[in-house]
Amino acid sequence: MASLSARAAGLRSLLDRVTTPGGLFVTAVLGVAALPVTNVIRDPDFWWHLRAGQLILQRHSLVGTDPFTYTVATHHWTMHEWLTEVGFALMHQVGGLGLIVLALSALTWAGILCIFLRARLRRPPMFVLGVGLLIGVVAGYPIWGPRAQMITFTLSCLLLLIIERHLHRGGRIAWLLVPMFVVWSNLHSGFIMGLGFIAVVLVAEVVGATLGLPDAAPRERVRTLGLVLLACTAASMVNPNGPGILLYAFQTQGSAAQQSLIAEWHSPDFHDWEVKAFELMLLTLVAMVVTNRRLRARDAALLLVTTALALQSVRHIALFVAAATPMWIDQANLLVRRVRARPRRARPLPPLTVRTVAYAAVVSVVAALYLASRLAPSVATTEASSRYATDFPVCAAQWLASSSRPLRIFNQYGEGGYLAYALSSRGDRVYVFGDAALMGDALLYQYADVESVQPDWDVIIQRSGADIVLFDRDTPLANVMARSADWMKVYEDRLNVAFVPAAKHAELHLPPASAAFTRSPTCAAHASTAVAAAPGGPGG
Amino acid sequence: MRRTRIDGRRRGPGRARRVSGVALALAAGRSRARDSTRAARAWWIAGAAVLMMAITVQPFRDPDVWWHLALGRLIVEHGIPPHEPFSFLTAANPWIHQQWLYEVGLFRTFSAGSFGPGLASLGMGAVAVMAIVVAALSVPRSARVSGTWLAFAMVLSGLVMGEVVGVRGQVVTLLGTSILLLVITRWREGSSRAVWVLPPTFLLWANLHAGFVVGLIVLAVALAAASPLAPNGRLARRPLLAAAIVSLGATLVNPAGLAIYQYVGETFANPTLTSAITEWLSPDFHNVWVRLFEAEVVLMVILWAIGGGPARFDLLLAGVAVAATLQAQRNVSLYALIAAPQIAAYGVRAWRAHAQPRLVRAGVRAPRALHPLAAATAVLAIGAAVAAGAVVPNITPSATRAFEAARYPRGPANYVAAHLMGQRLYSIDTWGGYLAYRFPSDRMVFLYGETGVFGDRDLQLYEDVHLLASNWTDVLRRYSISHAVIPLHSQEASAFHAIGWTVACFDAASDAVVMSAGSATSPPPVLDAPAGAPRC
Repeated sequence: MASLSARAAGLRSLLDRVTTPGGLFVTAVLGVAALPVTNVIRDPDFWWHLRAGQLILQRHSLVGTDPFTYTVATHHWTMHEWLTEVGFALMHQVGGLGLIVLALSALTWAGILCIFLRARLRRPPMFVLGVGLLIGVVAGYPIWGPRAQMITFTLSCLLLLIIERHLHRGGRIAWLLVPMFVVWSNLHSGFIMGLGFIAVVLVAEVVGATLGLPDAAPRERVRTLGLVLLACTAASMVNPNGPGILLYAFQTQGSAAQQSLIAEWHSPDFHDWEVKAFELMLLTLVAMVVTNRRLRARDAALLLVTTALALQSVRHIALFVAAATPMWIDQANLLVRRVRARPRRARPLPPLTVRTVAYAAVVSVVAALYLASRLAPSVATTEASSRYATDFPVCAAQWLASSSRPLRIFNQYGEGGYLAYALSSRGDRVYVFGDAALMGDALLYQYADVESVQPDWDVIIQRSGADIVLFDRDTPLANVMARSADWMKVYEDRLNVAFVPAAKHAELHLPPASAAFTRSPTCAAHASTAVAAAPGGPGG
Repeated sequence: MRRTRIDGRRRGPGRARRVSGVALALAAGRSRARDSTRAARAWWIAGAAVLMMAITVQPFRDPDVWWHLALGRLIVEHGIPPHEPFSFLTAANPWIHQQWLYEVGLFRTFSAGSFGPGLASLGMGAVAVMAIVVAALSVPRSARVSGTWLAFAMVLSGLVMGEVVGVRGQVVTLLGTSILLLVITRWREGSSRAVWVLPPTFLLWANLHAGFVVGLIVLAVALAAASPLAPNGRLARRPLLAAAIVSLGATLVNPAGLAIYQYVGETFANPTLTSAITEWLSPDFHNVWVRLFEAEVVLMVILWAIGGGPARFDLLLAGVAVAATLQAQRNVSLYALIAAPQIAAYGVRAWRAHAQPRLVRAGVRAPRALHPLAAATAVLAIGAAVAAGAVVPNITPSATRAFEAARYPRGPANYVAAHLMGQRLYSIDTWGGYLAYRFPSDRMVFLYGETGVFGDRDLQLYEDVHLLASNWTDVLRRYSISHAVIPLHSQEASAFHAIGWTVACFDAASDAVVMSAGSATSPPPVLDAPAGAPRC
């Protein structure tokens, strides 16, 4: 009875806190935060990860060499995300794409929750906490979506929360990171960022203590963190690739080809409205830091590092949001306290019953909005839907699947993953797909020469042994090939167009373009009449 | 000054003379120390300025210089043209001569014999250095910034802006902005008369470069946010407001009048410009020069934080400059200019607050200032090294000719002059200005860097061909373009080759080709260092 009444008192106290206007606001923000992180699959790399997971399950072992291309089939394949890939394959078996969308969306939202919990350690007012969270969620807009990278985002948020709790309160919580890294290093190569974060915090605390800066963590806790870092580094090597996984993670950063050719490794484009929120968050955070002039050494170091990473590559905005959002909230709180000379008198609140009803209403509305506008449509969208056919070569793949023999496809980089997923089982092979480290810089540069229609573009295609070229419509390559006498257009839909060498057309025995359009209503809607009008084209 | 007791007795008049002699000697000593500090500061600034000439004196890297020269020549020979004079496209926007005075000055310098191009490079390099020197001198007097910090800030900012200076009109805007910063500082220190430098400055500026608008924005920020530096703590905003209004009126004294503001608005509002032209794009932080900008911003923020916090005006000005740079990388030079005095001032403050006390406690003595003769020798030595190593190699007639041949399609232009006069030419936008200079009449040029006049429609036409949009051949047909001067390794070259164009001549120096719509039914199989193609 005593424990029941204690629980009831605890519940009442919790309700009392969360049903305040501030609590209501934060709850609403946390609910709204689920909207942008829930979407259909937009990541082109998802498909080859899914297919790789299916292959691992089939073979009961990792795949040693690449099974998707005809160009780098002899390259050793470092399967650095094998656990994620197996997870995708299992979820796909059980619940299709919808289950994967649900899982990744929940995972990303859990990361935002970790940001909230970390920010709450400094006890900011709820309103400031809510505004900061909202800004962080909007700043991350360029990279939200169901993708493997969200694993690193969420685990980074969790890691920073654990580090903060440890430095703040001590105890053994930091040792939870060790098993986390065992799992992380098998899930995503972004675990290297996690190790980097621990190192950055360590160095900052040591330097801060040496310089006598305020708010330094107790030495004992910093020492423990050092040991945790060593243990986590060792734990990271517990994966099929062994210690080599540590070097692999640096390969992408050190690859000039990847950094210059792959869109998500480019610097943010501040003309893009989606990036403006990140810019606003960064500039306001800096303005608050120099105005308040109170920033812990570890926060300063994390801010510097994640800003540099985010400015280098737009995909790292997620890490900036993970690290900087609690800082933004903390600095805003300091600024509000400076500006507001006298603390406001707390206004009397309505009765708890009324507040609870209001709270339940807000939660219901937000949940209904989320379910109706984001979750249900995203989960219900199937691979054969028009939505996916708009972003991925669904119809072109169906058309190619009806060809009498496997083909070597010179494809667009971002579509290699889907084509590998849809066609590799019947023996078709692509030129390139999204595992850039596997492709190698030499192949990437050659691909770039073709995509940007450099003088040797047709020689590269011919020498690669490609049977067919499949690219997006209205790309420079497609527009040049359409006017070249050496190439014949054999397929076109609203997304893609395919060409074959005019001299080889007869021997390829390709199906008519209409073969794709009759297979599904989606593809029928994506049909283009352009091929029927093309001279000598197979037409419908 | 305290009176010292010499022999324990109160001083009589005779003794007062001896005391005042000591006092005089002390005062003289302090004055000599002040002079020595000022001299040391001047030598540091001179040394940094001389060193920066190695960065700012550049050959004609900015491709827009050529159409400015073409316009300067046209203005000198025939007066300001009423319409866009070089392109066969119909310009969407009115013709605005927003840099006519710069163009005339540039052309006059350029055409001063074989050393003309070198003189132009040297002159604009000196203007850029002057801008940084004036910006550095705009530190508040009360900050007592040492020469070392000024020199450091100048060199750092010089390196950051190195990629966007040289022979370009924007350097004029840098000088104008630096003068403005100096005037604002003096005004904040209590000198109301200093503001009356602004109207004649803006009068000139508005006829030299449309970047005077930046100056107006800085003025607005100063009026809104500047705080006093004067000992009495009062800031008379009315003189600055009056000077700003007069300056605004002065900007209308230009051949285009009020239309110059329309030109500026159309430039900024052009979506194709801001998405297609490299210097209007956001910075690429993989580039080492941009990383230097990033480092300077981080340094400035750190110095703000440990130097006691930034003044509101400084924070706002630098914040706007950073935001402008993130929007368009061409603004990095403005940021560097604004950052230079702030890094110097807050750097000194941070040094005195944190580093100097530690050094004093550790018994480390400040190094003695160099003897003026030694300082002069050092500056001369730096100057000689810079001149020999960096400046002279960029300004000799042979160097400027070689640079022109390598960077611009001089050979192909010679071929066109001999065989294709009067024909419409397609070219990449960075070569359009050069072709306008070479072929000022007959309207042979497609498009060049005066994007504010061409407007979004014409820029889009260029993009359609340059990026090989679905209608790229339609553009060529519509404008009867059957010849092109383009880089050999360009997508246009591959595309024209694919539709049967042939290489009329090849220029190895600039890696450029002249291509013409051919009558051949099957073009040569490979377009790569075209064997057999005649040299231009």
